[in-house]
Amino acid sequence: MTRYLLGRVGQALVVLAVTFTAAFLLLQVLPGDAIMIKFMSPEMALTPAQIAEIRASYGADLPLWQRYLTTVGNFLTGNFGYSIQAGVPVSQQLATNLPPTLLLAALAFVAAVVLTIVLAALSNLTGMGWLRAGLQSLPSLFISVPVFWLGIMLIQVFSFQLGLVSVISPGPIEKLILPVATLAIPISAPLAQILMRNIDEVLTQPFVAVARSKGASRSWVLWKHVARNAVLPTLTIAGVLFGELLAGAVVTEAVYGLSGLGGLTYQAVGNHDTAVLQAIVVISAVAFVTINLIVDLLYPVLDPRLGRKVAAT
Amino acid sequence: MAVVSISKGTVVSLTRVVKLALLAMSLPVGVALAQAPVKGGALIYLEQQAHTNLYPPAGGFYPNGGVLNQITDKLTYQNPKTLEIEPWIAESWTVNADATEYVFKIRPGVTFSDGTPLDAAAVAKNFDTYGLGNKELKHPVSEVITNYKASEVIDPLTVKFTFTKPSVGFLQGTSVIGSGLVSLKTLALPFDALGDATKIIGSGPFVVTSETLGRELTMTARKDYAWGPKKLAHQGRANLDSIKYVVTPEDSVRIGALLAGQAQVIRQVQAYDEKQVLSKNYLIYAAPTRGVNNSVVFRPDNPLVADLKVRQALLHGTNAKEIVSTLFSANYPQAKSIIASTAQGYVDLSPKLTYDPAKAAKLLDEAGWTVGAKGLRQKDGKEMVLTAYESLPQPQNKETLQLVAQQWGKLGVKLVVLAGDAGSRVVDSLDPMKTPAAPAMVGRADPDVIRSQYYPTTRNVLLQKSPLAPKVQTFVDDKLNGLLEAIAAETDQAKRMALVGEVQNYVIDQAYTIPIFEEPQAFAASPRLKDFTFEAVGRPSFYAAWLAPK
Repeated sequence: MTRYLLGRVGQALVVLAVTFTAAFLLLQVLPGDAIMIKFMSPEMALTPAQIAEIRASYGADLPLWQRYLTTVGNFLTGNFGYSIQAGVPVSQQLATNLPPTLLLAALAFVAAVVLTIVLAALSNLTGMGWLRAGLQSLPSLFISVPVFWLGIMLIQVFSFQLGLVSVISPGPIEKLILPVATLAIPISAPLAQILMRNIDEVLTQPFVAVARSKGASRSWVLWKHVARNAVLPTLTIAGVLFGELLAGAVVTEAVYGLSGLGGLTYQAVGNHDTAVLQAIVVISAVAFVTINLIVDLLYPVLDPRLGRKVAAT
Repeated sequence: MAVVSISKGTVVSLTRVVKLALLAMSLPVGVALAQAPVKGGALIYLEQQAHTNLYPPAGGFYPNGGVLNQITDKLTYQNPKTLEIEPWIAESWTVNADATEYVFKIRPGVTFSDGTPLDAAAVAKNFDTYGLGNKELKHPVSEVITNYKASEVIDPLTVKFTFTKPSVGFLQGTSVIGSGLVSLKTLALPFDALGDATKIIGSGPFVVTSETLGRELTMTARKDYAWGPKKLAHQGRANLDSIKYVVTPEDSVRIGALLAGQAQVIRQVQAYDEKQVLSKNYLIYAAPTRGVNNSVVFRPDNPLVADLKVRQALLHGTNAKEIVSTLFSANYPQAKSIIASTAQGYVDLSPKLTYDPAKAAKLLDEAGWTVGAKGLRQKDGKEMVLTAYESLPQPQNKETLQLVAQQWGKLGVKLVVLAGDAGSRVVDSLDPMKTPAAPAMVGRADPDVIRSQYYPTTRNVLLQKSPLAPKVQTFVDDKLNGLLEAIAAETDQAKRMALVGEVQNYVIDQAYTIPIFEEPQAFAASPRLKDFTFEAVGRPSFYAAWLAPK
């Protein structure tokens, strides 16, 4: 197990290093850079000599490999550099924007999981065919709703029309209600679809018929036997979706005017703010790698057969 | 119009009916004005974009100006109605005959919010930084200060500035947002630390007390503030206790929140949203920016637009009236010159700016551009295809350029409108072969703005040959540059205005620029917000503002 763990962590580190390098190179390939965008714009009216001085002061005139090594060194020592456009250290931007995004993503993920379980359980336990059909078609509806539109609709109805929550100066919990709903609904859709399909599949397995014939109730079989088997593929998708939450947060944060990684990314991309983007890529990669590592480690816990296979290797 | 006189920003409505309704509605406002303004209260202001670096000379970016105008004072105050320069932090000043020496007497008792005095030494350090830059701290030079040589502190309340060449625009330059005075502690910080609003220590009526970067900031009134511009009706501390700036990027959310009472004022209202605001009896403030109009400019270094006849053809082939009536509203007046009709030295050139497609077609024929197979004009095997990048800060600029492209299309001229990424835009905008045409606009209430826009070593919108534009082959217009230099140096006001008239005529005669509309900065506000005013180029001022009870 320890060897497995070490191997997985080693893989994760390789993925991070490759991501870091690829991001660095791709950002260099883009036409123009943040210094150029900020200082070469005509309102600054700086001469090429002045701009060259500014470039030198940022170390932007050094050869590529030298800048790469400097950036690696800086990241390893926790120095993410400065945002040229915003005029603040990147670490300060991250300190402001990372926690709210993580909180929003985590809450939305929990809400999506709860919604998924409720949908799947209700649709399997209900005896009424029309309700079952209705519940099973909900995910298709959810998946086709654009996050942007959903956000605006929720604001219009619950904030502007009904006045139930404020979006401009809300309390700490109040401000999360609508954004969490906006993010959770589309994320729950693929989860629910996969979980429902897997439950249906597992229900056709012979061991279910055996359990039922022994006199187990429908719900007992569902929770005790089916859920555990049906949840594995859902878990894999959940790991991928958590990453997607970060992307969904870009839109949600823009609509609700929340501070977060989404808005920061959007601004940084627009201005080619390389230092900010490099930090965001690394953070996202760390998040993806960590979540997938956790998912991988959870498999053997949920399904002992997988654990044995791992131990055998 | 009672409405206009009540609020210094022009309040204009869409239709006559609405206008009358608004007028009737504003009558009680007049009554309320007679009563004493309400003291206290917190204002919520919704901004479209987060501010960027708040180094004062970077205050031209609208979101930055909205913050800086509340927290910094200026040496002088430009009256937004008369455009006269009036005392503020400087009680008085003298200028020598050739405008190379300025002496300012500083008002006693003024302090920055960190407690340090705003005296001659502080003023000198501010302008040394803005005039010369600071290489060590990466502070760039300010756009509005030219030919700056040095400062000299004569006594604790007297400061002298000297210039290498006449610098007539300097006095007005001391009144603009880009010349906001900040504490020595702020000027000691590197440029890269000035994006944090709490670090910008000014002497203004409000102080930034907290900020969540990119999301919101709170400004609190300074209780000891006693040095507003002397000629203003409002004196002493600000009426409001605090202002909360909240960044709300989504247009519909800003408007919805305003109408739902969750905010009292919002910036950036598109023309198509005005009706919705006015129909609820809320107000639109379209503050004029009083500078160079929203225009399309040519880069004559590119052979396609090097011929005067081609440029004239495109000028007469552009229907500015259609653009304004299709995309905008009465708050966006059709341009009658290269500068706004509210700008100093403006002359009405509308007879030279007529829409005349027949004349345009004739001019193109004369220039040798004949309509080819695809309906596109051709000459010597070359097709008339021009390219321009949209400008993100200008209102509906993409739509404007697309409409221009349709109008030119009828003449057989193709205009390709590119969005592009920021990097390509900056690089290509300096290359006349890649961008033979470009959108342009800049706000500043001094004729110096024309020089700043066209002169080769400043914004250089025509891309004349200069160290700033290494890709340009040959294009230089010495006559234009001579006129611009004369505006910068002419100390006699009447002669200076005559030159301003001459340069407007020259630019249009050469068809370097197609003026389209006078760009306002559009705000929407609750009828509860009173005495909401604007500085000379449309940046909001909440110094005298107050909130009437619900």
